[in-house]
Amino acid sequence: MERFLQYLFDGLSIGSVYALLALGLVIIYRGTGHLNFAQGEMALFCTYVVYQLGEWGIPIGFALVIGVAVGFALGAVVEVTLVRPISKKSPFAVFIVTIGLFQGLNWLDGAIWGDQILPNSAVSKQANFPTLFPSKDTDFVTILGAAWRLKYLGVLVLVLVLTAVLFFVFNKTKLGLAMRAVASNPESAKLVGIRTNRVLMFSWGLAAAIGALGGVVFAGINNSVNLGLMFTVFIYSSAAATLGGFDSPGGAVIGGLAIGVIENMGAGYFPEWIGQELKLGVALFVIVVVLLVKPSGLFGTAKVERV
Amino acid sequence: MSLLEVSTLRAGYGPVNVLVDLNLVVEEGEIVVILGSNGAGKTTTMRAISGMIARSGSITFAGQSITKSSPDAIVRAGIAQVPQGRGTFPELSVEDNLRAGAFVRNDDEIDEDLAHWFEVFPRLRERREQRAGSLSGGEQQMVAIARALMSRPKLLLCDEPSLGLAPLITQELFGIIASLNRDKGLSVLLVEQNANLAMKIARRVYLIETGRIVASGSSDELSADDSIRKAYLGF
Amino acid sequence: MKSLVTIHEGRAANWALRLVAGAAVIGVMLWVPTHGSNPLIDQFTNAFVLMAAAMSLNLLLGYTGQISLGHNAFFGIGAYATGIIVSRWGWSPLVTFPIAFIVAFVIGVLVSLPALRIKGIYLALVTLALGLVFPQFIKWRKLTWLTGGPRGLDNAGFNFSKKRRTYEIFGWNPFGDMRGQGAKPFYFWIAAGVVVITYLVCRGVVKSRSGRSLIAIRDNETAAAVMGVNLAGTKAMAFGISAGLCALPGCVSTILTNNVVPDSTFLSIAGSITFLIVMVIGGAGSLWGPIIGSGLYVFITQKTGDWSDEKNIPAIIRPFFSWAKTSPGTGIFAVTLIALMFVAPRGIVGVWHQHSPRLMRIVPRRAGTGTGTGTLVDTPVDDTVAGEL
Repeated sequence: MERFLQYLFDGLSIGSVYALLALGLVIIYRGTGHLNFAQGEMALFCTYVVYQLGEWGIPIGFALVIGVAVGFALGAVVEVTLVRPISKKSPFAVFIVTIGLFQGLNWLDGAIWGDQILPNSAVSKQANFPTLFPSKDTDFVTILGAAWRLKYLGVLVLVLVLTAVLFFVFNKTKLGLAMRAVASNPESAKLVGIRTNRVLMFSWGLAAAIGALGGVVFAGINNSVNLGLMFTVFIYSSAAATLGGFDSPGGAVIGGLAIGVIENMGAGYFPEWIGQELKLGVALFVIVVVLLVKPSGLFGTAKVERV
Repeated sequence: MSLLEVSTLRAGYGPVNVLVDLNLVVEEGEIVVILGSNGAGKTTTMRAISGMIARSGSITFAGQSITKSSPDAIVRAGIAQVPQGRGTFPELSVEDNLRAGAFVRNDDEIDEDLAHWFEVFPRLRERREQRAGSLSGGEQQMVAIARALMSRPKLLLCDEPSLGLAPLITQELFGIIASLNRDKGLSVLLVEQNANLAMKIARRVYLIETGRIVASGSSDELSADDSIRKAYLGF
Repeated sequence: MKSLVTIHEGRAANWALRLVAGAAVIGVMLWVPTHGSNPLIDQFTNAFVLMAAAMSLNLLLGYTGQISLGHNAFFGIGAYATGIIVSRWGWSPLVTFPIAFIVAFVIGVLVSLPALRIKGIYLALVTLALGLVFPQFIKWRKLTWLTGGPRGLDNAGFNFSKKRRTYEIFGWNPFGDMRGQGAKPFYFWIAAGVVVITYLVCRGVVKSRSGRSLIAIRDNETAAAVMGVNLAGTKAMAFGISAGLCALPGCVSTILTNNVVPDSTFLSIAGSITFLIVMVIGGAGSLWGPIIGSGLYVFITQKTGDWSDEKNIPAIIRPFFSWAKTSPGTGIFAVTLIALMFVAPRGIVGVWHQHSPRLMRIVPRRAGTGTGTGTLVDTPVDDTVAGEL
């Protein structure tokens, strides 16, 4: 029981990060039908920005706000300057552009901050990547014998609060209505006077901002940031979005948490078979099983077209 | 001053001009029908007026030029379009569809209007929580019309509302459009292939062929013309 | 469009042109392995490896209109097939090629089938996951007895006797001096052979009955399904062939380095992205695209490889890159990739087809006899291919 709870807590905490990235993927997919392969790398860039602000002595709360704002700007600029003009050509071209962004942003991070793990005692003033929550070894609560470190618990709470806010925005505000209308039928959305271009720009910005939050939180859990940080997070998030349904924000969050728990339970209970090396295989396995059993995902609307 | 004046309109998709030199007028408070065969440019006309495609020439609405306006500015100016094939938001509830129609409004009477249109379309009230995509064709057409009306338009553009509907339902819809015109003074520009029904409710009719208006007049005049009656009314 | 030169197909001028082009290719192919310097031979060999991998990916795009981000896994399957068979069992590396093809084919079909049943982004997703999982899977402790774990496998290539051995044909020595780990010219020929086989298979698949019909109806899958084509099955078959072909250059890569490790570039996801870049820059959907793209890629990476040291950057562009802590090669390719989508979505081959008629036009004999442009996809990539991505 104690072990089970421990894996569950760890899984939910790490799953929160997947949920954030998956939310970003879903918001963009709903709006434009594109899978943004650069989602993880956009988040990583913002995470590096937050690291840099920390180096300059800016407190984490403030640095996070700037990092998220940078994410929003990055997402919006990418949509307006790259995705929008290219999507008139073909979906293939958009795919290639997101791959180019993936590659280019990762290169840019390396070019600016180098390819070592940061913070690094040789070059950094900070010992660890700054975290939002108490992160000393003594900061934990014990539930039925299982320890839940406050910095992990904090991440989960943060994600749940954010999900509630987003749920409210999507379903109860005019902006949310506009976003849902554009996702549902862009042509008609224009006809009722919604500026679809602005909505799409906002969607990309929002997705990148949420992703930035995910990146910062994940680096905080890891105590560090490096160039490969988001590769695996991205694939887990894609698996989460597939599981939850690519057009369902709620599904993305539940999918993210579920993937985190499945991954941790798998690695924890079968250390010989899955262990740390094959944790990633869980993501592949989940995607394939979902595609075989219920391609629209758990909460997606069945718009999936079989061939 | 007419409500809508379109003159020497050219519009199309990419390099191809579908409309070559189109002129038409809608007066305040009348129902005008554009008749024409497939590919004549009916839908293109509607989309050009709504600002959805590139266009040149002159479109004036209530004395203001809207030739260069964006779709949202045109909705704000008072033109609402019911697109061909209904064009509802299938994943959204009926109520959200209608609320989306009021997107350009900032007043606090939206809830009242919602209640009002649910009075006019009681079948939609029964289904207000349902996804619009799950409704029947006729009900979806009602959603599309109610949605357009939620913006409080002065002019309603209806693109082939009868498409894919059973004759009885078409009649019901045309009845609603006629009564909106009669009771509320709503001006309507209607595009139709179903000429018989459309000419009954219209005051004036335009015939469009390959991007040009080839004939116009009152419904009575045109249905009295033998060649036109044969070509468009089929009797 | 008015051309500078107009040549009619089948006339003497056309034959002369073909003769000159053919002679140039054969000349280079004969000169490089026997007279070229070792680094030059290496560059050609590396370009061939990349070329074959990109061609296999290109087959998938041209045939199914979809993209794989997991071809590094199939490349790796080839690399490990050779590594395991040679290093563990001591067989000749040459017999590992067909085995690698079959293994990659089977795994490719199994993995792609669920994704290919559904339209949309799912093949890209599944293959991306596969590409990321592959190196992890190789390092899996349960497989260390076979794969050698993170350290990989050594002695995985040719091992000739220490004595000098040459195969001369009328005084011409195509394979060089084959001793110990073999000779560079010999590897050159193996890599070239893989490219030729890949090219012939791609052509064969594309020109085959089912290939032609599938390409013709690729963009209307409902129509195809109505016509009774087992779409998912045919596509999975295409994916399998593409995967199997991609394993072959993998085998070559192991032979070249005489060892195989799970974290080498082409076996990680960076490999897939490299194949993709090569294909797109050369010209996605055209048979010649990967050939041109890989040559360019190897040339540029070779030129920019040591640019992480500022002193090696040519002075004229140094200010643009001197701030970077890593080599700018990747960044250059990323920017090129994005820029290409704006100006030339069909890559260099596309630009050539667009502008070459101004210089020279070859008038085909009759309609339908083919113009020898070597296009894999008849319709332009930018509006049809991958309509489902």
